[in-house]
Amino acid sequence: MAATQQSAAVEDSATRPGGASIRSSLTRWFFIGLSLLFLAALLLAPLATVFATALDKGVRAYVRSFADPDTAAALRLTLITALVVVPLNTVFGLAASWAIAKFEFHGKSFFITLIDLPLAVSPVISGLIFVLLFGLHGWFGTWLQDHDISVIFALPGIILATMFVTFPYVARELIPLMQQLGNDEEEAAITLGAGGWMTFFRVTLPKVRWGLVYGVILCNARAMGEFGAVSVVSGHIRGLTNTMPLHIEILYNEYNFVGAFAVASLLTLLAVLTLVVKTLVERTGYRRR
Amino acid sequence: MSITLDQVTKRYQGVPVVNDVSLDIGDGEFFVLLGPSGSGKSTLLRAIAGLSGVDHGRIALHGRDVTHVSARERGVGLVFQNYALFRHMTVAENIEFALRVRRMKGADRRQRRQELLRLVALEGMDQRLPAQLSGGQQQRVAVARALAHKPEVLLLDEPFGALDAKIREELRRTIRQVQRELGITTVLVTHDQEEAFAMADRIGVMNLGRLLEMGGPNELYTRPATRFVATFLGAANLILGRQTKDGIRFGERPVSAISAVPPHGLREHEVVAVVRPEEIEVAPTREALASGYLARGAVDEIVFTGALERMRIRLDGGADALTLAYSNGDGNPYLEVTRTQHEQRAFEVTKGQSVAIGVRRVHVLPTPLSSFTVCAANEALMIALAQQPMLVELASRMKTRISTRMEPMLGVPGAQCGDATAFSGTTVIASQPDVAHQAEWLLQRGADEVLVLPVNALPPQRVLIHWADEAVRSATLAVSASVLRHVSAEAVYIGILPQLTPTAQRPHGMRALLDARSEAQAVHGLEMRTELRFGDVAPELRRQLGESPGQMLILGVCDVTRLAEPFGSLLESARWPVLLVRRENRENEDSVP
Repeated sequence: MAATQQSAAVEDSATRPGGASIRSSLTRWFFIGLSLLFLAALLLAPLATVFATALDKGVRAYVRSFADPDTAAALRLTLITALVVVPLNTVFGLAASWAIAKFEFHGKSFFITLIDLPLAVSPVISGLIFVLLFGLHGWFGTWLQDHDISVIFALPGIILATMFVTFPYVARELIPLMQQLGNDEEEAAITLGAGGWMTFFRVTLPKVRWGLVYGVILCNARAMGEFGAVSVVSGHIRGLTNTMPLHIEILYNEYNFVGAFAVASLLTLLAVLTLVVKTLVERTGYRRR
Repeated sequence: MSITLDQVTKRYQGVPVVNDVSLDIGDGEFFVLLGPSGSGKSTLLRAIAGLSGVDHGRIALHGRDVTHVSARERGVGLVFQNYALFRHMTVAENIEFALRVRRMKGADRRQRRQELLRLVALEGMDQRLPAQLSGGQQQRVAVARALAHKPEVLLLDEPFGALDAKIREELRRTIRQVQRELGITTVLVTHDQEEAFAMADRIGVMNLGRLLEMGGPNELYTRPATRFVATFLGAANLILGRQTKDGIRFGERPVSAISAVPPHGLREHEVVAVVRPEEIEVAPTREALASGYLARGAVDEIVFTGALERMRIRLDGGADALTLAYSNGDGNPYLEVTRTQHEQRAFEVTKGQSVAIGVRRVHVLPTPLSSFTVCAANEALMIALAQQPMLVELASRMKTRISTRMEPMLGVPGAQCGDATAFSGTTVIASQPDVAHQAEWLLQRGADEVLVLPVNALPPQRVLIHWADEAVRSATLAVSASVLRHVSAEAVYIGILPQLTPTAQRPHGMRALLDARSEAQAVHGLEMRTELRFGDVAPELRRQLGESPGQMLILGVCDVTRLAEPFGSLLESARWPVLLVRRENRENEDSVP
């Protein structure tokens, strides 16, 4: 309501002839310029630095830094973690947002708060929680040791910590979207004879797909880039439990700037790649319209 | 019967939003559920579609009980107010959805789709997306989609709500045409009485979760049985008059009236008359009126609306003034009048002009409750009672008035009324010690019903009904029906048999209970539940009322000289309102049509 009023007011002043239109165009350029300046200072400059430093000693040095087996292991670990975490959190996010948007139940607001918890808690604390639970002196530590299962300082711990940190992203995107779109289409599908699964895959999922894609991308970006929580549970074992962000830190601390920034540039490229994929998916989607 | 509803009740957090609705809709009938927002009409429609369950009652489609069948298997077609088209599918995919679900072959699907698109006049739109269509076209697609699987019942939930007037008209015609062509039983939900009149074979009017009245459009408009239907279906002036042996009187003036048999037999009593604005005639003088003279008044407001002219006429005061059942908030008695162009030309009226008012046609509502008179022995109590929230709300819902009357000798045996005129309508007294004697006193002096009201009473959620004698049954049921049309509460009839009733006689008690229920339903349009208890009447009722707050008792009494002895403690508790209904002994009034 307010938004339509506002846009109506903007349109009104934009089409009005005379001084008002000059002033409004000035205002417009001012805001566009300000935003661009901000982007340049905070986004483009660091990005440029990353690639500049990585290519400082030439392309050969840049490529050579990936030949390091530890770097390859870090890359592999990061991709495995993302491959496990993102699908699981997508399923969880869909289920949680469905439950919240479609049903009324006791403790619903508490449930929503719980979903937000990882966003509010410091990632380091999130990591510590798992150490306290599964570490050697944790609640389940002795039992895990007896059964020869390692969680902390191993892949399961890294996956758990990453999942904990990234699980709000999909749900947070979908809850408001589902609430806003309502239940009418689903109800229509049901009266037309569709079952639960068919309604979900043919009606609900297509309806929320853009929100879902966006949530998955955010989730993926965070899963690959997570430092704090993973740092606590991983143990920084080179070639074994180092993810890319951790590996970058190690290389940097060893004054291997080219190596550190090369891996950083790869991480950045992965992020850019996901954004490109998202844009492509949206494009094809819109072309169908 | 295509659709049969039997005592359907749906509650939200304990409050009934659909309250004991029973309904039969015939094959091929176009039935309109009409009511204001929040009246439960959409909930009822969703219950028929199976999208929401019911807490009580039974739903049958074509004789098949579907109360516990899922929406998916009921095979009805449902059209939503905001279309609910699948926005990512084309028109063709939308329409074929139900056929695809049923695994129909591609060629057959296409053929059926063409058929449907022709039916709703949208040929060639197959490959459009919903976003590329206008609102009216989208709703046509929604209708086609709902009809694709050849449902036996079509349900339309305010389908024209989001459309502008012109498109609405056009779509109405299309839907009516499609409905006739297919002969499909259709239920349409709307809050627009004009729409209901234009489309319906039969209209059911809902308010506060209850189905108040059903009938053809013309029948409901000219002969409504309830205040709500009278005022909801078009404008209506409600006037208090007196039913006498010779007909209806307004003040001292008899007016011929078309009326059902009066609800209280032939004894003179107060009634509510409906006068439609177009049935009022205005003329410069009383002699110039072609119809029966009613009153004089001054034109207060004139609004030109094209074909019709709308007027508000302020009635002149004085001894023979008309009594309106309610006035529009500011306390001034107005009559609403509409006149055609033809009438306007015959007698041009300007604002402020004094005119004589005549009435061509009067319809008397067969409702027993006409108005409330608050009665107390001192002024403070009288004022407190007249402002009692539950009473004020009830009166405003009933569109009737609350008048006050001082009776210093209230309850003193043998004392005369302070005012020479008889009591009329429902008399309201405060719940206090010795109130039973006051009630006796009033009932013996002509009051029809006495409402014993605690000053802090809240609107009831449950109304218990009981009569002390079978002879009062009809009168009690009529009053109960009238009260329950205006409060959103459940009605429960409590039948009480003495503790020591021999087992052989119990079936008899059950039969009395069932008789009561069927009379309530058939004669008074009141759906109520029934409970059978054993014990002494007054303690049993008190126990029931004490169980939970928010209850009210309607009690039919026969012997008005001995109220205090059995019911004294019930009336004096000040925890619940009690409405006493008296049986009029003098006349034969068993048959209320």
